Amino acid sequence: MRHVLWMAVFAGLTGIVFGVVSRGTDRHRLIYGLKVFGEFVAIAFVLGWILYFLPIR
Amino acid sequence: MAAKSIEQTAKVETPRIAWPIGLAAWAVPGLGHVLQGRWMRGLLLGGSVWVMFLTGLWLGGHLFTVTDHGLAAFVQLLPMSANVGAGLLYLFCWLTNTGFAEQAQRLTYEYGNTFLLVAGLLNYLAALDAFDIAAGRKE
Repeated sequence: MRHVLWMAVFAGLTGIVFGVVSRGTDRHRLIYGLKVFGEFVAIAFVLGWILYFLPIR
Repeated sequence: MAAKSIEQTAKVETPRIAWPIGLAAWAVPGLGHVLQGRWMRGLLLGGSVWVMFLTGLWLGGHLFTVTDHGLAAFVQLLPMSANVGAGLLYLFCWLTNTGFAEQAQRLTYEYGNTFLLVAGLLNYLAALDAFDIAAGRKE
């Protein structure tokens, strides 16, 4: 559980920076930052499930 | 038409103030924006980089430096250049010999490394943003 938490913290901080340095209105930046955060989390879960089924021990 | 447009773009000079602003933004995360009166941006960018860097150290990550010679040094140069992006934070750690010891036995070691590397890379991004604002290329 702690690993998921740190992954979410990482995604959140990266999303803040990406959102702030992007162009557009404040609303667009907020949406972009949230999108980056969501993509990081979603991709991590997808990769996690893919790796779960691979026979790597 | 396109050639004329490129020629006109090339003639736009970068204001001199943009260089020290960019340097300040690299040295102290968030400072470049604060110096330009962009407090909220400075706090968000600087805060994110600071939190990420300090969390990386707390999680047991280690900073990279070039210790080997020859070709092996190139392998260390890439992650070190990412760490150096944190500016004076890296310099302070280097002077006090903090965060350079490997703690691979810790469960969060790789997380810490990633946090430290990305903190530096994000600060490069923030410094470029501050430079662009000072140069008038961005609002």
